[in-house]
Amino acid sequence: MTELMDVLLFLFLVITAFGIIRMRDLFAAVMMSGLFSLLSACLFMVMDAVDVAFTEAAVGAGISTVLMLATLAITKREERGDRRRVEPLPLLLCFAIGSLLIYGTLDMPAYGDPEAPVHTYMAPRFIEKSKAEVGPPNIVTSVLASYRGYDTFGETTVVFTALVGVLLLLGGRLRLRPSSTMDITMGVDLRAVKRRQAERRQAVVDPSAAGDDAAGDNGGAA
Amino acid sequence: MKHNRILRVPVKSLVPLIMMFGLYVQFHGDYGPGGGFQAGVIFAAAIVLYTLVFGLRRARRAISLRALEITVAVGVLLYGSVGFVTMMLGGHFLGYDRLAHDPLHGQHYGILLIELGVGITVAGVITALFFLFAGRGLRPATRERVEPEEDATLEESFEGAGAVEGTP
Amino acid sequence: MILDVLSWLLLSGGAVVLVLTGFLILRMPTFYTRLHAASVNETLGPALILIGLALQTGDYANGFEVLLKLLLVLVFLLLTGPVASHALAKAAITNLVMPGQFKRIQSQEQQERERKEQR
Repeated sequence: MTELMDVLLFLFLVITAFGIIRMRDLFAAVMMSGLFSLLSACLFMVMDAVDVAFTEAAVGAGISTVLMLATLAITKREERGDRRRVEPLPLLLCFAIGSLLIYGTLDMPAYGDPEAPVHTYMAPRFIEKSKAEVGPPNIVTSVLASYRGYDTFGETTVVFTALVGVLLLLGGRLRLRPSSTMDITMGVDLRAVKRRQAERRQAVVDPSAAGDDAAGDNGGAA
Repeated sequence: MKHNRILRVPVKSLVPLIMMFGLYVQFHGDYGPGGGFQAGVIFAAAIVLYTLVFGLRRARRAISLRALEITVAVGVLLYGSVGFVTMMLGGHFLGYDRLAHDPLHGQHYGILLIELGVGITVAGVITALFFLFAGRGLRPATRERVEPEEDATLEESFEGAGAVEGTP
Repeated sequence: MILDVLSWLLLSGGAVVLVLTGFLILRMPTFYTRLHAASVNETLGPALILIGLALQTGDYANGFEVLLKLLLVLVFLLLTGPVASHALAKAAITNLVMPGQFKRIQSQEQQERERKEQR
């Protein structure tokens, strides 16, 4: 049953990845990447890696989607350029590297192999001794915060450095004029909507405002 | 503001609950799934939700970018200083055994403190990132503030739509 | 026994609702009818399943805690789902998608541009 779940989830992951590649609409692509993260979170959940699933769901499906949407508000929604053309050299390179990577995985231990180095080297020691040495019942926390404290310190510093980089790139101090409102706020300004509707309606009802040849097709939009 | 009440009321009541859940994940990480990183993200998600519904200006009035910068630095410094304190007490860098008389208690304090440092850093970084990216979206064209005098209802908007549909 | 039967009825009912609404999201013709299916999908479907699960908790020692958690999940789902649908509908109105049509109302220039692209 678990194998079936795994296979299904991996299948959906691959389908979603192809969907993201094929998508021209960037908004839909962002949503699909959120879906991708949620599927990987499900996969981690099936593998009993609750902490990782938690992080993946919160960061991948939640925050990074919102951040990418905020970025989309700055750029355009549609991908630009003609992408039906296939470049032979990059395609060949991708195939070569991909087959090299697949060749590399052939040497790896089988999925769920109890004799895999991961399960024989450090993991048994952590599982046996962490209760006596560190204490917390959640072994992931004791490995992360105590045994691998240096690594976590490095990670925190990386997150910190990322913000420093973004602050430098995006100009640091964010100056908002007192008269500005937020672009991507959910607040619907109904007056502006009505004004735009009125403009559009004017254009539809009164074809003389624009070109004459468009008058016949106006019904098609409604 | 009068309009958009349906979004505002649930969000207003949900934001504190999400923050509380973030704190739970933060301090319950020793016993269940969770920890500083996840807690920071959840806490930041609450602020992001507030910003999406109430606008960037109100959110930035509550939390300024300057405060976020300080918060982020404090988180990393908290983590690092735990390491230096353990060194001063005669142990290794980040060897929490020396923090209390009982090594197990020392480990517990150490883990709580550094997880708090991670949580503070991550929450601050993600909130600041969102503020910065969302602030970039403000183009001069959108910088008009429209104060609605009367609360236009959705029905009126729909009536306007009907006129369009009726035209040949 | 009665609880068991009721619970299974609710669970299978929820599953049927989820499958049907998922199908309808794909097959409905216009934006708002699809949104209608989607909002049923995120309120009625999970509600039936969660209530069905809640009826199963009586047999277990820690059943009450689980019941409480399930009800909390239900409350949050019922709080957030309709709000999300509302936000979606409002965003659609802002982008001038009108009931009975799938595309937004286009201005003259947009129509002309599209016709040029089609040629």
